[in-house]
Amino acid sequence: MSFSTTIARRFGRTMLLLLFAATGTILLVRFAPGFLSDSREMDAKYAQAARVEIQEESTRDQSLCLIATHEVKSWLKGDLGMSREYNVPVAELLSGRMRVSATLLVQGILSGWLIAVCTALPISCLRRGGSLCSLPFTLLLATPTAAMATASILFEAGGPVLVLSLFIAAREFKFVRSLLIGAWCSPHLLAGRAVGLRPWALVRTHILPDIAPQLCALMTLSIVTALEALVPIEVILTVPGVGQLAWSAVMNRDLQVMVAVSVLMACIVGIAGMLSAHTAALEAA
Amino acid sequence: MKRLIPAATLVLLIFGSVLVLQLMKCNYAFQDRDLIMAPPTMQHWTGTDELGRDRTVRVAVALLLGLAGAITAAAISTVIAACIGLLAAFSPRPVASILNFVSDAFLSLPWIFLLMMVRSLLPLTASPADTAATTFLLLAALGWPACARAIYRNAMVLRSAGWMIQGYASGLKLGQLVSLHVVPHLRTLLLPQFLICVPAFIVAEANLGALGLGVGEPVPSWGAMLLELDNSALLAQSHWIYLPIALLIVVLLILESFTKEIAKDV
Repeated sequence: MSFSTTIARRFGRTMLLLLFAATGTILLVRFAPGFLSDSREMDAKYAQAARVEIQEESTRDQSLCLIATHEVKSWLKGDLGMSREYNVPVAELLSGRMRVSATLLVQGILSGWLIAVCTALPISCLRRGGSLCSLPFTLLLATPTAAMATASILFEAGGPVLVLSLFIAAREFKFVRSLLIGAWCSPHLLAGRAVGLRPWALVRTHILPDIAPQLCALMTLSIVTALEALVPIEVILTVPGVGQLAWSAVMNRDLQVMVAVSVLMACIVGIAGMLSAHTAALEAA
Repeated sequence: MKRLIPAATLVLLIFGSVLVLQLMKCNYAFQDRDLIMAPPTMQHWTGTDELGRDRTVRVAVALLLGLAGAITAAAISTVIAACIGLLAAFSPRPVASILNFVSDAFLSLPWIFLLMMVRSLLPLTASPADTAATTFLLLAALGWPACARAIYRNAMVLRSAGWMIQGYASGLKLGQLVSLHVVPHLRTLLLPQFLICVPAFIVAEANLGALGLGVGEPVPSWGAMLLELDNSALLAQSHWIYLPIALLIVVLLILESFTKEIAKDV
């Protein structure tokens, strides 16, 4: 298959994923209990007849086709619609929060990987006691993200970046360790060790260049892993990011924000998937 | 032998929880307004919470409910995954492509977003028992894609196996082949997939609960108990508040170690 066909196929798949995410969210929200309710219906100053009229009006305006058309129009306009909760354009809400979440994601993923690689390297060289040394990561893996975030508040230590880093490190450590153990067993490295080459020289000249493509592929997949932890971290540690916005939109049935966040997440996942072409790295790990 | 230790510890924990519920006569929802945040006594072994409810009873119920819910959800999820994986493997190419795309789409979207959205769209007035059932059913309904992909890949390998072709040539129907031969072959894959889902679902419930979207009060759950840790004033009064999270981590470690041992054996 040619390069252009591969790119076109992946792009088409990402577009389908976006459509799937948007349609799914609209359907879910449209049929959610309470979506058609209007705050004016609770207001005593409106007469019963007026309330019935408001109810009929909101039901009439919220057919699936109308919602979809309205969504497409607002996306074409560029403001992504008006938030029901904040009454401001969703694009305005997202722009500031995206910066905060992106910074958190980048810092968290990079530090998480640094922790994972720096600890996996010496542990992978050990002949015995590797499992014992991996115990802190096993413990972290068994700790829910919400508990990690709460612990960070309780002990007044770290913060969102540290929690996200530990979350990523716990999940990627076993993959990195498996890759490194596999690399140490390759014949040319065994020969290198037999002739007395120092481990650091082997790591620098052979192991890291050998596993670099697989590590890069895994790192792009870490984006999806990190997104899972984003909501509890941002909500519990009160970080004004996209995760917190999504949580608030979900609690208030804010359709416009929910669709925008779903499409944004699908977009990030699609791009991450396109970047990680070497998915075989996962299987190897 | 190695897998017996985690299994025995887990059984002991479950047995201990049942014993606690038998010995302690109070209900998990019973509030003693005179004993709010009481220290451990003979009546309340690990003290009471901010509403005067017995903490030991609540932790025992949370453990049993969490395990029962997660095991049920994992079983349902594995069955759904097996059905979809096998359907994709043994159906015409267009059907297989659609099923694979749907499972890929579910797999690629962040879990917590999906769970949060679907869970929050349910009625706000649901009873605690309903919220518990809904939470675990949702986990089951959204947790199948990874397992389905693995089953699909393995079933595709089996489809072209020599004994499959022999079976077709002997006149066996596809349904017979799948139920009598393919499913038993996939058992070694289904068991670890089921076991992997159990701790994953417990963690997902705890995270959802911490966001206020899990099992509703007064039914105790890991997630609802994590919320207690947010109140620093309560933390200063009793260290027993850490009991649920400590026990949750122990349960998850046991489950992970058990899964690892089973996966090694199969």
